[in-house]
Amino acid sequence: MTNKAKAKETFGKAMFGIAAIICIIVVVAIFAFLIIKSVPAFNKLGIFDFVFGDNWAPDRNDTFDTENISGSYGIFSMIVGTFAATVGALLFGGVLGYFTAVFIVFFCPLKLKRVFSSVINLLAGIPSVVYGFFGIVFLLPFLSNIAPNNGSGLLATSIILGIMILPTVVSLSKTSIEAVPSQYYEGAVALGSNHSEAAFMVVVPAAKSGIMASLVLGVGRALGETMAVVMVAGNAPTYPNSLFNSFRVMTANIVMEMGYAGELQEGALIATGVILLIFILIVNIIFNTISKKSVKSLVEKNAKKSSVKKPSPFALIKEKIAAIAYKIKITSVGKVVAVGAGVLSGVSLILIIGFVFVNGLPELITNPHLLFGKYEFGSENVTILPSIIATLMAVALSLIIAVPIGIMTAVFLNEYTKKNNIFVKIIRTAIDILSGVPSIVYGLFGMIAFVKIFGGSSSIIAGSLTVSIMLIPTIVRSTEESLKSVSDTLREGSFALGAGKLRTIFKIVLPSALPGIMSAVILSMGRVISESAPFLYTMGSVISAVPTGYGDSGATLAVALYQLSGEGWYLNEAYGAAVVLIVIVLSLNLLAEFISGKLTRKLKGA
Amino acid sequence: MSKKNNMITEFGQSISVQNANLWYGDFQALKNINIEIPERKITAFIGPSGCGKSTFLKCFNRMNDLVAGCRIEGDFKIGDVDIYGKTDINELRKNVGMVFQKPNPFPMSVYDNIAYGPRTFGIHNRHELDGIVEESLKAAAMWDELKDRLNKSALGLSGGQQQRLCIARALSVKPKIILMDEPTSALDPISTGRIEELCEELSKNTTIVMVTHNMQQATRISDKTGFFLLGELIEFGDTDDIFTEPGDERTERYITGRFG
Ligand SMILES: Nc1ncnc2c1ncn2[C@@H]1O[C@H](COP(=O)(O)OP(=O)(O)OP(=O)(O)O)[C@@H](O)[C@H]1O
Ligand SMILES: [Mg+2]
Repeated sequence: MTNKAKAKETFGKAMFGIAAIICIIVVVAIFAFLIIKSVPAFNKLGIFDFVFGDNWAPDRNDTFDTENISGSYGIFSMIVGTFAATVGALLFGGVLGYFTAVFIVFFCPLKLKRVFSSVINLLAGIPSVVYGFFGIVFLLPFLSNIAPNNGSGLLATSIILGIMILPTVVSLSKTSIEAVPSQYYEGAVALGSNHSEAAFMVVVPAAKSGIMASLVLGVGRALGETMAVVMVAGNAPTYPNSLFNSFRVMTANIVMEMGYAGELQEGALIATGVILLIFILIVNIIFNTISKKSVKSLVEKNAKKSSVKKPSPFALIKEKIAAIAYKIKITSVGKVVAVGAGVLSGVSLILIIGFVFVNGLPELITNPHLLFGKYEFGSENVTILPSIIATLMAVALSLIIAVPIGIMTAVFLNEYTKKNNIFVKIIRTAIDILSGVPSIVYGLFGMIAFVKIFGGSSSIIAGSLTVSIMLIPTIVRSTEESLKSVSDTLREGSFALGAGKLRTIFKIVLPSALPGIMSAVILSMGRVISESAPFLYTMGSVISAVPTGYGDSGATLAVALYQLSGEGWYLNEAYGAAVVLIVIVLSLNLLAEFISGKLTRKLKGA
Repeated sequence: MSKKNNMITEFGQSISVQNANLWYGDFQALKNINIEIPERKITAFIGPSGCGKSTFLKCFNRMNDLVAGCRIEGDFKIGDVDIYGKTDINELRKNVGMVFQKPNPFPMSVYDNIAYGPRTFGIHNRHELDGIVEESLKAAAMWDELKDRLNKSALGLSGGQQQRLCIARALSVKPKIILMDEPTSALDPISTGRIEELCEELSKNTTIVMVTHNMQQATRISDKTGFFLLGELIEFGDTDDIFTEPGDERTERYITGRFG
């Protein structure tokens, strides 16, 4: 190789390698942060007392060195609260999602089917503050009719979380039901069962593990959610004793107190995050096991079908159908339930969006000051323009940081390292773990790491750095997926023409992976706009004047919505902000679909 | 041709291999192979699946370097150049082109597909590129078919057209040798015929080494044939001789078994 070309290749590899190293540093920094900051707290408080103690009454003045601490630091009531809320979310969102998926696949009129599925997919992108806001303005007042309190508590939390995980459960369950080979259905129908019997007795059971996996993923989402819960749970550090009493989940504990925590208290909050992370990791491991099993079982089932000595699938089907005689009533009940669930899901999702729009649009029209006004200190006239600008600034900076690092790390992992390298496997696992870390934990990290670096008070730059760290794992993962989907024959074709590695990567591999990468980038954009927990204490939560630079603090639009809805005085303005937020996020989702579709078509030569 | 390259190696057109052994990890895929492949002729490699034909072919443009755990021994010479010596691997691949089993056009326009190779070696002048694209497509007998759709994506072409485009793409850097690994196995008989004609035409100026599972194809177009079995080169000679009076019993069993 000529020296110049060689130097270029080495330089390129070094660039990708440096990105990967930055990524590793970030990963290590986060784990180190969690460990270094929580271990003294665990030591001081005792793991057992911390986890199983049920009195939470921290004292700001407690430090790691205090002889006799005066506060109490037991999080058991919050662990119970977290689990209760998650189980509640599963009861609402999981069951509803399961039957809705069955409805979409088997009982939905064909014309509605596509619209329904894509609406459900879009709803997965709606910011959680919007769900929380809906809880405040609609659900709580509604429940207060039957509740002894204002309606907040376990029931409201379960419903809101349930609606939030609904889209995830529906779209994944639907995919796995649709992946069941059509012979199953045909076999059952050929033996005389009707449509709903075939659906409930044969096809859906065959998709069991995929459906399970979708539920587990929903659980993961519910466990890590912060803001929507904070808005409807009440947040007193007590057990959820009834459907309607104020209780607190672990994420809420962090976000409620991190702003003003003392030394030991801060350690205890980070320790809360660590315990939560451990739960989420367990959930992820369960998810991975189940989804691997579901792929395997489908493959095995298909293999069995084609093997010579087959314990024919018909034997199984026959057996099931024998039982059907007794169960006919059940499957027809099932059909009714599925249709009901489909309608209910559709109605509740439309209700949320519709309710927000019906109240928010008039506000936006009649109160132009909200969108275009100038901020005045102490004025009753709220404007969200500064928040929109602060949001855009955060989006720009965090993408400028996260996208190149994420993409280059993925390229390094996928194009430059050997498949079975242990080191690379460790990095991948670490990145997988990080992508499950709840966003509030990133907020905690950002508050302690970046806010301190940038002068001790929150700023757009600190907030942007915080979310960019949160985005990197997702960008790495989805870019890697796209790179893997580029056929090796293209790489070989390029090498065979004498092209070097760099040219192959830039001219062949990356362009082919572009649709996937682009949609990952746009979805990251949506995530920055939707998130609020990591911004609260890093970027600022006060709606003020239009920021003049990255050193200023500023509330993002989602944070502004949280603030406006919290005090109850600015509900109309909150509706307006919610509409703007929904419109931006939904447009981005549509844009992602459009761009990746268009790029894919262009690559395919249409 | 390439201005930035100051140590241009002159590659010949014949291939000479002595005592070649190749391992994938612990598995020995090629065993002590010696062969002299003549210049500007078509040489066919035949043999049952898994006997090492593709592996051997990929030694000539060092594509095996991409396989982790692959170890190669022996002398590989193209003309007088020891290709596993101090040769620039990209320069080698420019001189030894390759066409793959499944057509692998890049997801870009017909024009950009052909121009990819020349651009790799520093040619960016539009005029010059236009000339190369036209010349390469003409050499692959595709110019009339494609001259009006140069800017359309190559993925919109039929399988046979895609494979001929890949041949044109290989020709764009004026290789002295072209390696083809079952280039027609994914194609219908008419497209196969076209490619065979093309090979015969190209062999006037270029050495062609082709792996094929199709005995008729080997007899139709090749001058020389090598029969591989379990990593060994059992027999190598003029195609006519190999197919009429094979020197080795195993060759005979293989070719007669195939002819039925
Ligand atoms: N990348 C690799 N890693 C490990 N073993 C390999 C690799 N590529 C090929 N082999 C093994 O080397 C042997 C020769 O493979 P090769 O692909 O050269 O056979 P072939 O003669 O081209 O077969 P076919 O006619 O099916 O294309 C086979 O046993 C194969 O399993
Ligand atoms: Mg082969």
